[in-house]
Amino acid sequence: MNPTTPQYGDLALFGHDPLWLVILKALVLFIGLVLLTLFTTWFERRVVARMQQRVGPNRAGPFGLLVPLADGIKLALKEGITPANADKVVYLLAPMIAAAAAMLVFAVIPLGPVVSIFGVSTPLQLTDFSVSTLYILAIASIGIYGIVLAGWSSGSTYSLLGGLRSSAQMVSYEIAMGLSFVAVFLYAGSMSTSQIVAGQTDWWYAVLLLPSFVIYLISMVGETNRAPFDLPEAEGELVAGFHTEYSGLRWAMFFLAEYVNMINVSAVAITLFLGGWRAPAPISTVWSGANDGWWPILWFLGKILVMLFVFVWLRGTLPRLRYDQFMRFGWKVLIPISIVWILLVSAWRGIRNEYGTDLRTTLIWLGVILFAIAAIAFLLDLRRAPEDEVVEPTYDPYAGGYPVPPLPGQEFTYTRRAPQTVPATVVETSALESTGQELEGDRNE
Amino acid sequence: MGEVYLPILVLGILGAAFAVFSVAAPSIIGPRRYNRARLDAYECGIDPTPQPIGGGRFPIKYYLTAMLFIVFDIEIVFLYPFAVAFDQLRLFGLIEMAVFIVTVLAVYAYVWRRGGLEWD
Amino acid sequence: MSSLLAAASFDVPTIEYGQLSPMLIIFGVAVLSLLVEAFAPRGSRRPIQLVLVFAGLAAAFAAVVMIRGTQHIAAMGSVAVDGPALFMQGAILVLAFIAALVMAERQVDPLGDAFAPRASALPGSTDEIAFTRLGWLQTEVWPLFLFSVGGMLLFPASADLLTMFVALEVVSLPLYIMAGLARRRRLLSQEAALKYFVLGAFSSAFFLYGTALFYGYAGSVDLSAISDALTANAGSMWLVITATGLVSVGLLFKIGAVPFHQWTPDVYQGSPTPVTGFMAACTKIAAFGALLRIMYVALGGIRWDWRPMMYVIAALTMIVGTLFALTQTDMKRMLAYSSIAQAGFMLVGVIATNQAGLSGTMVYLVAYGIATIGAFAIVTLVRDSTGEASHLSQWAGLGRKAPIVASAFALFLLAFAGIPLTSGFTGKFAVFTAGIAGGATPVVIIGLVASAVAAFFYVRVIVLMFFNEPTSDDGVSVVVPSGFTTLAITISVALTLVIGLVPQLILDLANQAGLFIR
Repeated sequence: MNPTTPQYGDLALFGHDPLWLVILKALVLFIGLVLLTLFTTWFERRVVARMQQRVGPNRAGPFGLLVPLADGIKLALKEGITPANADKVVYLLAPMIAAAAAMLVFAVIPLGPVVSIFGVSTPLQLTDFSVSTLYILAIASIGIYGIVLAGWSSGSTYSLLGGLRSSAQMVSYEIAMGLSFVAVFLYAGSMSTSQIVAGQTDWWYAVLLLPSFVIYLISMVGETNRAPFDLPEAEGELVAGFHTEYSGLRWAMFFLAEYVNMINVSAVAITLFLGGWRAPAPISTVWSGANDGWWPILWFLGKILVMLFVFVWLRGTLPRLRYDQFMRFGWKVLIPISIVWILLVSAWRGIRNEYGTDLRTTLIWLGVILFAIAAIAFLLDLRRAPEDEVVEPTYDPYAGGYPVPPLPGQEFTYTRRAPQTVPATVVETSALESTGQELEGDRNE
Repeated sequence: MGEVYLPILVLGILGAAFAVFSVAAPSIIGPRRYNRARLDAYECGIDPTPQPIGGGRFPIKYYLTAMLFIVFDIEIVFLYPFAVAFDQLRLFGLIEMAVFIVTVLAVYAYVWRRGGLEWD
Repeated sequence: MSSLLAAASFDVPTIEYGQLSPMLIIFGVAVLSLLVEAFAPRGSRRPIQLVLVFAGLAAAFAAVVMIRGTQHIAAMGSVAVDGPALFMQGAILVLAFIAALVMAERQVDPLGDAFAPRASALPGSTDEIAFTRLGWLQTEVWPLFLFSVGGMLLFPASADLLTMFVALEVVSLPLYIMAGLARRRRLLSQEAALKYFVLGAFSSAFFLYGTALFYGYAGSVDLSAISDALTANAGSMWLVITATGLVSVGLLFKIGAVPFHQWTPDVYQGSPTPVTGFMAACTKIAAFGALLRIMYVALGGIRWDWRPMMYVIAALTMIVGTLFALTQTDMKRMLAYSSIAQAGFMLVGVIATNQAGLSGTMVYLVAYGIATIGAFAIVTLVRDSTGEASHLSQWAGLGRKAPIVASAFALFLLAFAGIPLTSGFTGKFAVFTAGIAGGATPVVIIGLVASAVAAFFYVRVIVLMFFNEPTSDDGVSVVVPSGFTTLAITISVALTLVIGLVPQLILDLANQAGLFIR
């Protein structure tokens, strides 16, 4: 469009598409997202099944690929129940907000460099502007409204608790997420996604800013309400949390929003930390054309798939946290680490800007400091070592009648298999009662 | 200037149309069989807990979390422009921001010590 | 299309740390004091806090003395460090020092200091009784106090409306909490805190809205830029008039001018008395400083437009404050209405819009502040078994029971009344002469009449103390305070006499301060 073609990473690239191209891009993005969601549900069930040594869905279509479609049709034919107690308007509005907000994040995710579509050269990205990362955070916050309003408007105790929990959870983890971005902006000098990707030509920020990346990875799981942080919909406690009262396609909207949000946060992780659409190191070093034309979409999808696998892996392996543990982790671990890390990064970069050392010197000094810390820790540990060699007292489960008061005539014996099993003995009922009373007395003290 | 936001509008319309359709569809294509018990709140089969008018009162912890969130979100709001303009601000920005962050950390330490971050 | 920040090659901002050092010291000490609250063991908090507070106030005052004579707009046009600002900062620091002495008192109340052991405990609950029995002290009052003082230092020095708004909030938010911390009469105290908070938030909103309108008019929130825009007659006059009105509402609320005075009696009565003294003296200085700066720097060019409004407000404030004070039967409420009337007298200096008006108002503020802290300190000493005996009838015959304390109180009352040879006369004289010179003679006449009426109820209390028989066995006695309050009252008495006997000292100091810089 412009006489002087702007380089990638220049925001002048955006905003020149003709309307038909904008609509085409948006449509492809939208359909792609829905298909990817369907695929993800299948992918998750298959992978979790493998982890649990099952087969998973394998009937409809090849490898059971059509199962999500069948699910969708089934859901569409279900009755849409609106509980008598619900606030009707908000109840119906909530799933719309959740789903529509989830769809919007992908508008600013860069999928590739400038390509030519029907003779128009355009970047493989719907749009971008100078604060597009802020836009992502803003849209993610709107998504929270969907969940909170759903919980509040359902008129059910479980829903309300789930909605409250999720609002507290998401705002808590949003802080850690927001803080993890600061270091990236510091390095990229921009909040626009395409410029951040352009800034990762040499090094991925996941390598340069590993702590930020780790904090983001943790908080993104918290943000999407996924296991092990799926407390708003904890089955054991809240039935299904905020979407207990939803059925059919309305429920499917929340389901869709959750999966699209998974894809969203993965895409943000890739854009901000994992080099965006750029090919990973071995491929790009061997093959110089890997970052041109349409190929980057492949790398992008590949990275998305890896991130989704991480999500499924977490779900398949980790038990759910307790709510207080979860909040403590967010407020007392993630936030202070993030803030201290930002201080360190900015101090480091400020000193480098002022006194101009290059990356190699930086790394060497970093290594020296880390080595010194390790050495000091090791020395301290050496000095402390003798104290650790305290002989553990032999475990006696009956000491003082606590934690297990001995039954009359019962003695502590070792067995071959497990050292702490106890032979069963028959006891009189009266003896049991007296022990019980003693225990009561202990408790009252 | 507005052209960069047009695609968001287009995508938003697509998403909203899809969402509206999906929420409206069950009343058109789904079956409708009236059952009073089904319209009650679901509490695993027992009679639903009576709902207080206006939703009742929430535990104060949620308000506290919300307020702390505002504090830290404002901190982030200040950190973002600082981070973007870091290289131009040079040492001045670093010192000022360090003072700001340390001040927020002091407040954070106070809240922590006073049990504001406990969740029981 | 291009990124805002990448395109702009902006100048790196600078901050004059030296010129801002009084505020930086106070805020730094406040943060330290907060950390003491977080990490020091309960028993050692009070001594550490006291050392921090007094050392911090002294250091900040030393900093003010060091940078005297500066005329500079610091921090990229946000903070004006000039003569009047430094004068008011010094005055606030001295008064805060005296107020802190009264707040540190622990001997007059057998249960502890003036503050609730745990403000969050339900009044009258077993928790509260348990905390009282444990002898816990709410030492959080010190960081709150310091933050508030820091805001007060910034308030009269703000060179743009946004900084002023931030300062306003930093002043107010701690005060809202401190108002609710009284150990005795908890419900009254909590009511005071809530009223102060709700009305204060309301008036802050007015201030902010006025700021927005000024921005709409002048395209800037800088006071000097607003002044320039007015000189250039840039836009709609109605916008400026509305904005002036709205901003004035925010500041007049803090001052306690009629018709924005309704909170004053309730808050003064409900707050812990040492806090009331602090609030009455220091907040007034800070808020008048801000009002003077806006009116002189930004709106000096349209003084003929806002003067009629201020005429009415000043006259109303003097009349309403005096008349309502006549009818009060509670000592703290009477002093509250008296403070409203005093605010009216000070507004005469604002209306004058000349150098004499500025220096006169500053002198009046200092004189009133010293006397009011001393008066409230004495109110804390007159007690019966339930706490302070603040009903006027309980003060009958106090001159017989405790002649020295009663004499000191009489001196402060005479200063309020503006009797010659006390500080109040110096202040009133300076303000009223400036008012006549500035062409506000009608308001000055109303002021003189109001002073005469006000003298009546001040003298009535003196008569009550010295010439009435004490009611027998009502249990009211004057407690012997520790060194803190004794020192505070002594300083107040001494300064009141010095300003009254040798007025030239402070008048010269105020005149040397000169005018606001633009």
